[in-house]
Amino acid sequence: MMVYGLFLVSGLAVGSLYALGGIGLVILRNSTGVLNFAYGAIAAFSAMFAWQIADWGLPGVLSWISAVAVGILLSVAYGRLIAPSLAWREPAVKAIATLGYMLILLGLIGFIWEDALRKINLPSDKVAISLLGVRVTLTRIIAFAVSIMAVIAMVQYLRRSHTGLNMRALADNRDHAALLGIPIVKTETLAWGISGALAGFTGLIFGSLVRLEPTVITFMVIPATAAAICGRLRSLPLTLAGGLFIGVVESMLTLYKPAAPLRTMAPFVIAALVILWMQRGQKLTFAKEA
Amino acid sequence: MKLTRTLFTGVAALCLASFATGAMADGHAPVCGLATGEAATGDPIKVGGINGNAPPGDFSGGTDAAAAYFACVNANGGINGRPIEYMVENDQWNPELAGQVATKLVKDEGVVALVGNGSVVSMAVNANLYKDEDVMVMASGCAISECYESSNIVSTNQGPLPSGIGALTYAIEELGATNAACIGFNIPNNGGWACDWMNEFMESKGLSGTSILMDPTAVDLNSVYLQALAEGVDTILLMLPAAPAIGLLKVAEEQGGREIFKWVSPTPLYEPGVAEILGEYWNDNLFVHIELNEFDSEGPDNQNWVKVMDTYGQDGDRRDTFSQSGYISAKFFVDAMLALDPATIDRASVTTAIKGITNATSDLLCAPYYVGDADRHMPNHAGRVVAYTVGKFEIVRDCFDIESSYLDPIRAQEKALGITQ
Repeated sequence: MMVYGLFLVSGLAVGSLYALGGIGLVILRNSTGVLNFAYGAIAAFSAMFAWQIADWGLPGVLSWISAVAVGILLSVAYGRLIAPSLAWREPAVKAIATLGYMLILLGLIGFIWEDALRKINLPSDKVAISLLGVRVTLTRIIAFAVSIMAVIAMVQYLRRSHTGLNMRALADNRDHAALLGIPIVKTETLAWGISGALAGFTGLIFGSLVRLEPTVITFMVIPATAAAICGRLRSLPLTLAGGLFIGVVESMLTLYKPAAPLRTMAPFVIAALVILWMQRGQKLTFAKEA
Repeated sequence: MKLTRTLFTGVAALCLASFATGAMADGHAPVCGLATGEAATGDPIKVGGINGNAPPGDFSGGTDAAAAYFACVNANGGINGRPIEYMVENDQWNPELAGQVATKLVKDEGVVALVGNGSVVSMAVNANLYKDEDVMVMASGCAISECYESSNIVSTNQGPLPSGIGALTYAIEELGATNAACIGFNIPNNGGWACDWMNEFMESKGLSGTSILMDPTAVDLNSVYLQALAEGVDTILLMLPAAPAIGLLKVAEEQGGREIFKWVSPTPLYEPGVAEILGEYWNDNLFVHIELNEFDSEGPDNQNWVKVMDTYGQDGDRRDTFSQSGYISAKFFVDAMLALDPATIDRASVTTAIKGITNATSDLLCAPYYVGDADRHMPNHAGRVVAYTVGKFEIVRDCFDIESSYLDPIRAQEKALGITQ
């Protein structure tokens, strides 16, 4: 039983990272209609920048803040410079465009930082508690707590604030929101900024907890997208639950040796099952095309 | 990103020659080829090289070092007056591109051989091409079975199998390991292949071994660590590239893994920069089997490698084990070429010359290097062990050979060639 506890705690720790990624995707998707596949690359760039600041010998606090700031900058840059020209295109086109941005960022990372061994050390790595036999560092606890707090804060923000209301209006119908006089660019910029801040933070934590490899961080967007799909690309609490669930399933599969090498399939399988579940009882119809 | 580097240029060679002549006078100049101090100006000899330099890793150290050595040779008389035109291609870890660049070099450019290759993908894709075209590859960075089980590829580096067994040998004999987990990537003919042989080795000693394979992009290293814990092993063999190995060591540090397991690794963890980021937690608790000599060893070949890279290398060239390996591959290649009549050098004569290499020695290697005419090649299977201590690695066991039934056909070749390792 103790073994299951070990893997549960371990899975929750990784799942919270997936959830953080998924939450950032859903926030953006809700207000701009863009599924941002460059989310992981923004996180990777932010983490590398934070490492660079620390490597220059600047204070750690500056390094951590810079990760979030760079995340915001890169995200808003896309949101202001590229996304508006695609605003009226189909969701698939918007999503594919972010893949291009992802490749640009990956190329830039490779250009700026040659392949070498790097490590992000956070003071919270040294503080830990024992939970079900697993030493859980403060960094992991922070990742878990932030993922929950981000959901609570965003749900409240969307419900209670004026700009949150604007975001919901945009999510419902961009055309109608524009006709109502909602400042679309301003509202979308805010959403890109929030999503970018989460990406920067996730990159920093990911670089510390997992490893500071730009490609690995970039492709973290895949399980994050699976978590977002669990939340039907709309619900933040369900995205959180989805991310945690994926993390736990991945972790538990390690216990069954034949499945262990395949556990990275877990996000896709879970996302596919969720999609099937959401489609239950519906009939395939082309009525809308008629 | 396509990197194509053609090294031969008469002008560059002349410039370098004048520089080298001056440097040679104070004893700091590298010694290469004929060491004439005069640039080769004859008809160039085309030699190829393929590396993999893109995410997830940079395997360009071998071709970087070979390029530097060939530049040095060209500035010092070349191959009896003929310079080497070294053409390097990057396959970017892309199988389709790997096939294209190999075809370009072998068929279109007609290279006489390939030297310094460091690419997992290219070896798997092109092994048959090399055999069909009868062109030899003197590789420097191999990590999959095809690289060691092909008639026309011979690598100076050991790869995961001998180096992993070397690390386990140390763990058994010096640390008392009885049950080891081999943690590797789930890459075809890489992690599974090597870890299976690790387990076979443990069983041959009456001990236990188990494989824990993970996806290269796996995020959850904590679960990998916990799986080893659940397996009840006492030793962990990190059959991984340096970056994920360090990620796993960090997880182990969080979980107090130093006290639970003995930690050993094959060569990849012996890389510049690793010692700086490991931290004092791992002092005297991490042992790495190294395939070549220490980066700062005083041996003449190692010192010459440093000088070659200092004088003829490019900014940003890697100086890792693959680089040492690329240097020594290029040196053995040049030594073989110098025995040929420069007027009659072609692919057939070069292939024969390479296959004729035997008992070539270097302080970078623990035993003689050879090629021979065989269906597989693994000339380097003896190495050293270093321990991480106080921010650096120090040798704790000098040259020793490994035991494995995998080497039975290799031993038979060595016996036929009169080589004793």
